[in-house]
Amino acid sequence: MFFELKGLTKQFGGLLAVSNFDLYINQKEIVGLIGPNGSGKTTLFNTISGVYTPTKGKVTFDGKDVTGLKPHRIAELGIGRTFQLNPLFNDFTVLQNVTASFQIHPKSSLFDTYFNTPRYRHNEKYILEQSEEILRSVGLYHVKDTLAKNLPHGYQKMLGVARALATKPKLLMLDEPLGGMNPEEIDFTLKEIQKTRENGMTVLIVEHNMQVLSYCDRVYVINFGQKICEGLPKTVRDDPQVCLAYFGRENVA
Amino acid sequence: MNKKKFITPAIYALAVILLLLFPLTKVSPYIINIFIIAFINIIAAVSLRLIITSGQFPMAHASFMAVGAYMSAVVAIYSHWSPWLTIPLGGITAAIMGALIGLPFARLRALYYALASMFFGQAILQVILAANKWTNSYGGLNGIPRLLPTYSKIPYYYIILGVTVVCLIAMYRLEQSRIGINLKAIAQSHLVAASVGISEVKYRVLVLGVGCFFVGIAGAFLAHYTQTLDYTSFGLNKILLFWVYAWVGGIGNFAGPIVGASLLVIAPELMRWLQQYVPYVSAVILLLVVYIMPKGLAGIPEMIRNYYNDRIKRKKAVDVL
Repeated sequence: MFFELKGLTKQFGGLLAVSNFDLYINQKEIVGLIGPNGSGKTTLFNTISGVYTPTKGKVTFDGKDVTGLKPHRIAELGIGRTFQLNPLFNDFTVLQNVTASFQIHPKSSLFDTYFNTPRYRHNEKYILEQSEEILRSVGLYHVKDTLAKNLPHGYQKMLGVARALATKPKLLMLDEPLGGMNPEEIDFTLKEIQKTRENGMTVLIVEHNMQVLSYCDRVYVINFGQKICEGLPKTVRDDPQVCLAYFGRENVA
Repeated sequence: MNKKKFITPAIYALAVILLLLFPLTKVSPYIINIFIIAFINIIAAVSLRLIITSGQFPMAHASFMAVGAYMSAVVAIYSHWSPWLTIPLGGITAAIMGALIGLPFARLRALYYALASMFFGQAILQVILAANKWTNSYGGLNGIPRLLPTYSKIPYYYIILGVTVVCLIAMYRLEQSRIGINLKAIAQSHLVAASVGISEVKYRVLVLGVGCFFVGIAGAFLAHYTQTLDYTSFGLNKILLFWVYAWVGGIGNFAGPIVGASLLVIAPELMRWLQQYVPYVSAVILLLVVYIMPKGLAGIPEMIRNYYNDRIKRKKAVDVL
């Protein structure tokens, strides 16, 4: 299995934010994780990426046990992520945001970095080229010298994705990529997600916007920290439990 | 951009040349002394700023200066080592201590970090006070071996100027390299930094070690220059003064602490009649700077540039209309 959660549990004191969650992702699959507000999606996400250590359970990725590793170690192993809120280095320009995110491939030693050796300069040149290419692919090249904090919200989210791509992830995790976007930006982002699918990237998307569903191979639905449904987008959409979680009583509609 | 690349080194080079020529003008040893003290404070303020760029709030900086100073002085007195060996030893001791406290402090942020490091700094001073086997009572030390067998201050002036220039270049390199970028990234958002693979603990510990090394070196030179040490001169006052140097000059700019420290060390000495009011005057200057120029004294050229750029833009806008 490429990526697997087994019985993942995260408890904050007496609050069970995520309980006994199982999930798996095959290579080159786009998997959605949806659920209403406050259902534990982001907690699950932060637990996978190492911001929180799980109370119980196991996370395996690419044949390795990554449970409870520090966030930067998990990023090094190949899980890239975006953030829901404040996803940027605000005082860097757009280009600096992306170049600063190239930490892993290539990686320069402290010695090379400090003494500005040819190897370091070569790496930096490569990083600059790659960063500009990433910015072109997400459509931010024309604002590359703008300070990140001055960008409109939709661009900031895209920059978050560009930053995650700079870590050359094997698994890309998007935390509410559509949150707070206007319809045009949503269209653009969905197209980008489609593009990543064509590039053969493995993606885990966390959303509460149901539009994302049609772009996913499989969908998990979480509510009150528990998995209430999993399967193909179509079956999930028609599941009575999901309707209950999203719209209230099923017979209202 | 290219113009700026040329101007900044030119200003630094000019400043160094002027400082090299300065003692040839037959100034009094008193003035030379003030300049030497200013150099030492510049190293301290710049190294403080280096740590601040990583988002840490070190309130123990003067204590690390004391570590460097006392380590170097005690070893030189009791083991009869040459000061040229004990000074790096003092710096390395301060660096190791800095890096060691960096580990437990790596989880603390903002106010909590400031509080914890302040108490740690005071604890270091208490240890120095308690170590009266080596220090005389009340943490004092006299008869520290001199760096050079001469009573003239001018050789000291040149040595410490040289050391300052080397330290500043070393710290400037650090800030300009990817290490400096990573430090600033951590300061802006440690979560995002971790998500792209920057180890927060590693860089925070690294910068604390480096910053404490330089301030330790500065302290050791101070010890062998003044030949007496008094632990009270490394107290909370001194830490706050370092912060004031950095803030008045401007945290956002490498030149900031240099400008701040030079001005606030030299200016009060030139106004002897104000001597007893120096803390108050410094406080007023700090408030004024924070209020009028949030980017500090070193931010003035930028302010002027922005003002002119705005005017040009406004003119263009009017022309278009």
